[in-house]
Amino acid sequence: MAGASAADVRSILSLPNPSTAGPSQPRKPAVPAERARKPEGISRELYSLIGPSVPSLAAQLAKPRLKQKPNLGGGGRVKWEWRSFKNGARSDGFELSHWAKAGSDPNAEYPFAKYNVQTTSYVYSQEEYARLLEDAEWTKEETDYLFNLVREYDSRFHVVYDRYEYPSGPQRTLEDLKDRYFSVCRKLVRDRPWAGDEASKNQLLSSLQFDKERETTRKKYVTSLEDRTPEQVAEEDALFVELQRLEQNERRFKRDRDELLRTLLGIESGLPDVQVDEEGLNGAPQESKKRKRGGNAGADLDTPVSASPSVIALGPAIPKKAQSAKNAAFDAQNCIIRTEVPATTSSSTKVAHQPVYLRSYKLPTPKMTAAPKVAQVLGELGISHTRLVMPTRENCAQLEFLLEAGAALVETKKSVDKIEQDIRIAKARLDNRQSEDADGEGTGDAAPTPMDVDEVNDADADAEGEVDGRAQSVMSTRSTRSARGRRSV
Amino acid sequence: MASNDRVRVRGLSIYRPIIYGNTSVVLTQEEREALGSPDHTHRWTVAVRSAASAPNSDIVGGADDLSYFIKRVTFKLHDTYPNPTRNIDKPPFEVTETGWGEFEIQIRITFVPESGEKAVTIYHHLKLHPWSAVGSGEPEIPPLEAAMKMGPVHSWQYDEIVFNDPFQSFLNILLAHPPTPLPRTKRRPVPFHTANPASLEASKGGVPEFTQAMEKEEAERLENARKQVIAEQDRWREKLIEKEHELERLRKQIGPS
Repeated sequence: MAGASAADVRSILSLPNPSTAGPSQPRKPAVPAERARKPEGISRELYSLIGPSVPSLAAQLAKPRLKQKPNLGGGGRVKWEWRSFKNGARSDGFELSHWAKAGSDPNAEYPFAKYNVQTTSYVYSQEEYARLLEDAEWTKEETDYLFNLVREYDSRFHVVYDRYEYPSGPQRTLEDLKDRYFSVCRKLVRDRPWAGDEASKNQLLSSLQFDKERETTRKKYVTSLEDRTPEQVAEEDALFVELQRLEQNERRFKRDRDELLRTLLGIESGLPDVQVDEEGLNGAPQESKKRKRGGNAGADLDTPVSASPSVIALGPAIPKKAQSAKNAAFDAQNCIIRTEVPATTSSSTKVAHQPVYLRSYKLPTPKMTAAPKVAQVLGELGISHTRLVMPTRENCAQLEFLLEAGAALVETKKSVDKIEQDIRIAKARLDNRQSEDADGEGTGDAAPTPMDVDEVNDADADAEGEVDGRAQSVMSTRSTRSARGRRSV
Repeated sequence: MASNDRVRVRGLSIYRPIIYGNTSVVLTQEEREALGSPDHTHRWTVAVRSAASAPNSDIVGGADDLSYFIKRVTFKLHDTYPNPTRNIDKPPFEVTETGWGEFEIQIRITFVPESGEKAVTIYHHLKLHPWSAVGSGEPEIPPLEAAMKMGPVHSWQYDEIVFNDPFQSFLNILLAHPPTPLPRTKRRPVPFHTANPASLEASKGGVPEFTQAMEKEEAERLENARKQVIAEQDRWREKLIEKEHELERLRKQIGPS
């Protein structure tokens, strides 16, 4: 009720308003302008409460002048309007409405869409699993189960851990799950051909880094820190204070001793005249820590959280021998390429010397077995793998990557063919089974649903036979089988 | 030669960009008559040169004199030519001849003794007839009149001669002769190459020149192809995984064997 004015009070007490005359009375002349103006230094509310009878003193009690409020460019009123918008991160095209500044671009992209970061989900084929991902501790089924959960819960490992219930599997800790998941991802990334450059690959790899050992120790340590009794905490604090006191004493002693030496020996003491900053040891680390935290918070606000787990992503390691720009320019001008010399001296023999060659001699070649197919793939893309227009070092390397990728593609296609073949066989088997079931129904004996074991074995044996002797037609197998079925009945 | 000059500089390889190939022009009737052998239709020049072209020169490449590291270039022509093995000991390292047919030329580059390196051999297919787009329907060998209008034919291959761990003395020689860098941008037609059929149009209209832009363009072509292959590979892998799941389902349906 801060804004109650004198008029309000009067109306509550049903007092006649002094300023406005009654309807019967003649209208008083208008209030002089000078009286209506509130004197400087009195707030509007106070003035309207106490009315025009201003104590002269109040005018002197001018309120301290503060700095003027900055004009934040607002000025006039901001117009807002109710607008519908589309969220680019949604796949269903659902529209919601929100208040937006009238001046803003109505077609602008929804600014929060970028925070919907999709995690890349990794999948692997049977062949990749067999080649790279075998682990004594894990079966393929359990790994599949883990990857499904991680995908389902969007890499939220605590949820994954909570829901993790693999039948007849060993008990897994959160670290076990993470370790398995990240190690699989790392292996996949390392093995597959990479579309980008080396640096981005390394960055991704380091973001997939997980040190199970360290994580377990860290958690153990945190737990032990949490589990301290109040007495232990008090003791620790006391010890810490004691330690600080000792350190301080130590420093003081040292300072005193230096001082003494200086006074006694003067310049001959060999001690520097400058005093060591004693604050440096205590003050700095905390300061920097604080600053770092503040900086991080600021930075996090605008950068979308990366999809990868929040392990500190290290950039590519800075090469030990940082070549100066001048050297690099010299090398480029003279066409020099420097490589690390292996530490062993065995290469100094003449045999190890690689003779002069033409760059195009060293063009990479695909593996013999896959060569025609790889060549065909590249041919479709308009690339000749045997000749380059400009066989420079970079282009040769590029070609090598390309060939690797092509070989991997051919390999994958081959596996797909194999699996398709297997699927055909399996389907044929199923068809056989079904037709057999239908036969069983037709003759009216042998209930179709509970298959007895003999029959299953029978069917398997037949399917096997079909695989071996493909020439045998389906009709003939069916007829022999039904005959056999009747015999068994 | 000081003994420490015969020390190899380890961990260093140094290369020199070269081009090799040929240029050929169709002979006019008068020239053919003036010639001893009237069945020869073309005059061609096969050469090994530095990759960069000299400004305003009418030949491909050859901005630098390569005799500081090349001692001799041997061109082995077709056996039907008189003394088919031509040794060229002085720059320019080239042979000019007339003829009517294309054949493989063996080029053997011998290096200066300081290099301590053996000779290298390369092969070049002598190109007389104009380049044509594959499958364009044009006859592969157009009639001489048409070919004459199309101007000289250029067939050049860029390459780099790489010296590994060179002797200090040889390195000093090489360092004293830094090669002229290739121009960054295209100023003249692009040398046509079968590995890049799309460059046919850009190769027309004058003496071609090798540029850094060509290298970049090729790197991009390779990278794009790689990206396509990888995208394709991802698609196939997904398909593979899908199929594997299907197979698993089917196997489950079949039941334990």
